[in-house]
Amino acid sequence: MRSADYVIKRVLFAVVTVFVAVTLNFVLFRAVPGDAVSALRCRACTQQFKEAERRELGLDKPLVAQYWLYVEGLLHGNMGSSLRTEQPVLGELWVPIANTMPMVILGTLFSIVIGILVGVTSAWRRDTLLDKTGLYTALGFYSMPTQWLGLLMVFFVAGAIHLPTSGIRDPTLGLLTHASTWAVIVDRLRHMALPSITLGLSLYGEYALITRSAMLETLGEDYVLTARAKGLRNLPIVWAHGFRNALLPIITLVALSLGTIIAGAITVEYVFSYPGIGLATVEAIDQRDWPVLQAIFLLLTLSVIVFNLVADLLYVKLDPRVVDQ
Amino acid sequence: MNGSGPLLEVQGLHVWFDLAGGRELHAVQGIDFDLGPGERMGLVGESGCGKTTAILAIMGLLPPSASAAGHVLLNGMDMYEAGEDSVRPHRWRDIAMVFQGAMNAFNPVRRIVDQIVEPMELHEIAEGRAARVRAGDLLELVGISARQASRYPHEFSGGMRQRAAIAMALACGPKVLLADEPTTALDVMIQAQVLELLTGLTRELGLSLILVTHDLPIVAQTCDRAAVMYAGKIVESGPTEDLFHTPRHPYTRLLFSATPDLYGRGEVISIPGTPPRLDREVLGCAFAPRCDMAFEPCPSVVPRTLPVAPGHGARCHLNDPAMRSAS
Ligand SMILES: Nc1ncnc2c1ncn2[C@@H]1O[C@H](COP(=O)(O)OP(=O)(O)O)[C@@H](O)[C@H]1O
Ligand SMILES: [Mg+2]
Repeated sequence: MRSADYVIKRVLFAVVTVFVAVTLNFVLFRAVPGDAVSALRCRACTQQFKEAERRELGLDKPLVAQYWLYVEGLLHGNMGSSLRTEQPVLGELWVPIANTMPMVILGTLFSIVIGILVGVTSAWRRDTLLDKTGLYTALGFYSMPTQWLGLLMVFFVAGAIHLPTSGIRDPTLGLLTHASTWAVIVDRLRHMALPSITLGLSLYGEYALITRSAMLETLGEDYVLTARAKGLRNLPIVWAHGFRNALLPIITLVALSLGTIIAGAITVEYVFSYPGIGLATVEAIDQRDWPVLQAIFLLLTLSVIVFNLVADLLYVKLDPRVVDQ
Repeated sequence: MNGSGPLLEVQGLHVWFDLAGGRELHAVQGIDFDLGPGERMGLVGESGCGKTTAILAIMGLLPPSASAAGHVLLNGMDMYEAGEDSVRPHRWRDIAMVFQGAMNAFNPVRRIVDQIVEPMELHEIAEGRAARVRAGDLLELVGISARQASRYPHEFSGGMRQRAAIAMALACGPKVLLADEPTTALDVMIQAQVLELLTGLTRELGLSLILVTHDLPIVAQTCDRAAVMYAGKIVESGPTEDLFHTPRHPYTRLLFSATPDLYGRGEVISIPGTPPRLDREVLGCAFAPRCDMAFEPCPSVVPRTLPVAPGHGARCHLNDPAMRSAS
């Protein structure tokens, strides 16, 4: 019953946050000097064309009316049309999002698994050579600029294991002979490999450091001493008691960083010319295509809110104390 | 297992902690004692004198920064020589513990009952439903309704958690129970209840008990025997009655007058001065600077433990006729 209260509270909070985010997103794009049309990159555009364009976008109306139009559109899943292609924004963004998702999920899983393994091992073998090696390697990757790491991968790793360094598919695949589904999947995975690994390497350091410090804290708790006194072996002590409790701070921080991963993917996609949401963002900025940009901003914000909500809800499952606070 | 002889023997136990800068802290400086079946011994001394460290050394639970020397024999098995794999099956089954500040002895994300059942299943004392029933019985034994067994630790009050910790310590029917200041964090009334419970249970179940406290009157009410620790050494040990009525070390005498009794009556007169630092070697008797009866040899000659009565020994030059006549 009390946990239901907690869930309702968190969901309401998320809904309010979404509303605030939508509003801020609206304000942000109106606060820039000039408007969308004046920023359009077309020297040949006539004044009449620009006026017509303004009317079509509703930019001639008062701000409040524009705001309601915007919110109403969102409620209908309408985020406007791209200035460049004149197609609905959501349809435009659908393909890049679908491209980015599996790459980011793969990279994130990779970083979480490696980060947690390194962090737990480091904490458990504290101050040994193993700990120091793990710690400094993690710190190294953590502080390495992502684009630089990406370039290292292109120059030194890609050639050695014959992985493609750009794009998302082999353009010749299926041209001459029919390609099986399996061959297509393998081709996609091969193109995803380097961006995913680069993303994973640039993220795992943070998770390793967080896990290590959370584990050091829990391993020093009295209940871990109790577990040892009871005669438990090291492995169950480290995982069932130590890690189980370290999970709480880890989840919070992972959720926080997940929200920014998509933003982080921008660099990786740029380096590997991977046609995902990151590349789409760069393009939209380049073209001053503000409806697309506005939609991307909103989606990024929403993903942060959703990940935080998921973390909050996981807490109910993981920590009996949160409900009673 | 051999039936006769002491259950637990501690011989020449030393513990050092590595400190930053390569220095060492000699926390336990050679302590010896035996504990027979059903015997209750108090281990007393001001805070910082090495009681917890000694208990953890006996349990083999010292942190990696510590090194220990000496012998701890459980039922004749040398725990330090046997190695962790041979000792592990005896943990909680033969020797269990109630930790100092047992408030945090429970994992906050697991139910109380699961944590009591955990060692039972580990050591194959009971399993599944039977184990849960046994856990409920143990909780009833310490005055907690079995219906509360599936609560989480944060839902218990401090006193309840402490009692639950005792129930958890009894889970595998241990022969020896080490209780490290089991009542310090509790208020006086609840302290009395928990202590009564602890002594009552050890009597009923025939457990051997080491009760660590800095409160000597509590020991007088609870234990057959007591050892007084000061600066890492046992300075006096013997039957509680003897220690209470005829202390043979000035520290023991002062400790008695320094603590109020169980119900908070009596004056608190603390012993002037502070215990010496343990990270450098102490010349002579460590208590000499605070002693109201110190004489010539005390600051320079380390006193040996001398028998002063049957089963009663003290580490003080006052009991050494040779020293007294020399000065
Ligand atoms: N982990 C540790 N590292 C370094 N010194 C310690 C550690 N634990 C205890 N000590 C030191 O050992 C001495 C004895 O401490 P302790 O056994 O906790 O005393 P008591 O339980 O009698 O209060 C103290 O001087 C304390 O500072
Ligand atoms: Mg202590």
